[in-house]
Amino acid sequence: MVSATKQGPDPTPQDSTPEDGERGLDGAPPVTGAPAVPAGHDGPPGHAPEHTDALTPGFRQVTFRTRIWRRRALIVGWRVARLVGTGVRRFLPALRFIARALQRRWRRSLQFRTVLTTLMLAVTSFAVVGAYLSNQIANNLFQERLTQAESETRYNVKQVQETFDGAQVTDQSSVITLVYDTLNAVEGRGSVIQRRYVFEAKPEQTKPRNRWVESRASDQLTVSVIPPDLRKAVQSSGKDQYWASTVIPVGTEDRPGIAVGNLVTFNGTVYELYLIYDLNTAQQTLDEIQGVLWAGGAVMVLLIGAVAWYVTRNVVSPVSHAAMVSEKLAAGQLQERMVVRGEDEVARLGASFNHMAASLQEQITQLATLSQMQQRFVSDVSHELRTPLTTVRMAAEVLYDARDDFDPINKRSAELLYNQVERFQSLLSDLLEISRFDAGVAELDAEAEDIRHVVAHVIEGAAPVAAEYGSELILSAPAEPVIVDMDARRIDRILRNLILNAVEHGEGKPVAITVAASQTAVGISVRDHGMGMEPAEAARVFDRFWRADPARARTTGGSGLGLSIAMEDTKLHNGWLQAWGRKGSGANFRLTVPLRQGEGIDASPVPLEPDDTMVQGQPGSIPREADQRNMLILEAGASHLAPAITSKETP
Amino acid sequence: MKARILVVDDDEALAEMIGIVLRNDGFEPVFCADGAQALDIFRSSRPDLVLLDLMLPGVDGIEVCRQIRSESDVPIVMLTAKADTSDVVRGLESGADDYVPKPFKPAELVARVRARLRPGDQKAPETLRIADITIDVAGHTVSRGSERISLTPLEFDLLVALARKPWQVFTRELLLEQVWGYRHAADTRLVNVHVQRLRSKIEQDPEAPEVVLTVRGVGYKAGA
Repeated sequence: MVSATKQGPDPTPQDSTPEDGERGLDGAPPVTGAPAVPAGHDGPPGHAPEHTDALTPGFRQVTFRTRIWRRRALIVGWRVARLVGTGVRRFLPALRFIARALQRRWRRSLQFRTVLTTLMLAVTSFAVVGAYLSNQIANNLFQERLTQAESETRYNVKQVQETFDGAQVTDQSSVITLVYDTLNAVEGRGSVIQRRYVFEAKPEQTKPRNRWVESRASDQLTVSVIPPDLRKAVQSSGKDQYWASTVIPVGTEDRPGIAVGNLVTFNGTVYELYLIYDLNTAQQTLDEIQGVLWAGGAVMVLLIGAVAWYVTRNVVSPVSHAAMVSEKLAAGQLQERMVVRGEDEVARLGASFNHMAASLQEQITQLATLSQMQQRFVSDVSHELRTPLTTVRMAAEVLYDARDDFDPINKRSAELLYNQVERFQSLLSDLLEISRFDAGVAELDAEAEDIRHVVAHVIEGAAPVAAEYGSELILSAPAEPVIVDMDARRIDRILRNLILNAVEHGEGKPVAITVAASQTAVGISVRDHGMGMEPAEAARVFDRFWRADPARARTTGGSGLGLSIAMEDTKLHNGWLQAWGRKGSGANFRLTVPLRQGEGIDASPVPLEPDDTMVQGQPGSIPREADQRNMLILEAGASHLAPAITSKETP
Repeated sequence: MKARILVVDDDEALAEMIGIVLRNDGFEPVFCADGAQALDIFRSSRPDLVLLDLMLPGVDGIEVCRQIRSESDVPIVMLTAKADTSDVVRGLESGADDYVPKPFKPAELVARVRARLRPGDQKAPETLRIADITIDVAGHTVSRGSERISLTPLEFDLLVALARKPWQVFTRELLLEQVWGYRHAADTRLVNVHVQRLRSKIEQDPEAPEVVLTVRGVGYKAGA
């Protein structure tokens, strides 16, 4: 806002207009205006002291526009705020999406980040330099105009005063004519108004009889365009000249201007005379210069952005090319290589990358060949061994069937031959099976089936063995079907292994088989109450040829590969196979398989560590209450599915 | 009359052993050690059943199987040393009715052979219908309208088993027991492959079956 008043004696010493009389009055600093500013300005001696307020001259060009700007800014600001408000509400999701996309870009693209940073730095530097330049230019333009305005005012005021002093008019009409003509002359000759004026009697003075003119102003102007501070300074100063920025109406628009004021005396009345200079041309020049500055700055920023983009692209593109190629390599396209051009650092990177890729490819191809060889070997061994083994097995069986016709020695030999051929056969088939897993040729032949049928089938098959050991097989399964994507042959093999294992180590105590399903997985646990095992042993049961008790294992047979194969079969289903054991409390094996292949398992529907550590159903031992209840539940669950199973168990 | 069985196997010892077992059980074995001659010997000996080793020198077992199947509906049982899914399925798809994995027991082999040679032709005159298919059980013919559809005996048995109880859903295990004669079967691929083959012959559109329907998670049933 206009608040600055400043005494404006002509700072140019070469000013030739005689003004010493005027100056003679300026012995002391003005009373109002700017009392804070001390006298003793370093200007030429004899000049009136300058008053300045806290504002430095650099900001003056800003101040004379602020009034219009403020009004415009208010309206524009209000509209923008409303627009932004509704816009933000309507497009909030889109904005969020864009923000996230930009954030992601910022994180992931070095080029984007570099270009953006460069652009931001360039914009900041241009804003600072541009603001400084524009400020300097505005200041100079203003100062120039001000200097001109002050000297013109001084000259014109003097002319007016001289005209008034020399006037010999006494009647009202000639006084008015004289005053008006004199003032009109101030506006300058020609069609363009050089300066406008406001002529006002100084208030608070006795009104003489012959005072016929109170106030007079150029077209469209009133005394209200003169800032009150300026008036106050002029009124109280005597013969000092003051100026202030103001806004004047010209036609339909408001224009920035400078008002320079002084006092004149006519017929004993003191008048304030303000000459007002239009700064529009200066403002237009400034606007043009600023426009050029900003346009030039914007073009420069864009150019810098483009340069940054080009330079970073040159550096980053080989890197992202390398990233792309290595992703392809990782995806198995081993023949993929980087393009190498020139001898610079990037070319060296490409060359060593290609070297690495070549050696990787070589090793992987070698491994693949080895694996293929192993597969073929397994396949060949399988065929080559199985055919003679079939003959041997058939021959052994023919001999075994006819053993009653032999003498005791031959009979026993036939029996041994038969049994050991059986054992050899099962060992061989387990070995071949595990080599197939190792060679990676085992495949999942999955189909949606009710897993309860498979469980029931395995239990049926294992029942005779369980009966031999005196163990009872107790099934607990859901009443509704549990449809699982599975290779029934492999699930069958896993379960048969677990159940026969449990029977074998169950010491004739019951074996509980629990089936439970969740939304995503089915769990089957096989719990025995035999001698159990240490946790450390439970961790090793799936190792190949591992036996809990080496001393007695041989008598129970088995290849020692059963659980390893079960583990491989489980892995093929993306499932879990886990063992729990405690010395004296038996063991629990749990199989968990996802209901649909391709989905993961979060949790198994059955617990691994059983909540019972009972000894149950053992003849002579008294089952605890909880166990009885448990057993009832188990049987209730099992009854609908395999009612025949328990009866089959007794031989 | 003794059933004649053609044993196609290049391993002489095994072929001889199989011969001993088969003779012991009252069959009449004929031997062939070379895939290339298998079809000629098949034509000259006119066996009641073929035991076919999948791995043969010259023409391999799967090709022999296809050749025999192209001119005869005689039951074919594969002998396979490979239990790999793809090999078994390939064998079954080329026309074999059943397979016996090596090493097998004599009893197992004989059971498979007998199951395929069942004296099943004393059936009562009976006409069954599934969808737009008519089955003459005694006459061993299947037709859609006036058009006759040629099925192997196994496919015929499978279709009849389903058609006799159209209200029942057959599990694969049940079909294995009723059609193949397995007591404790595990390999349901037999059923799957033969249902596919049967569908390719009797369905208008095998992709959208109307005669043999799949009941997800359970098995198969006859269409309405």
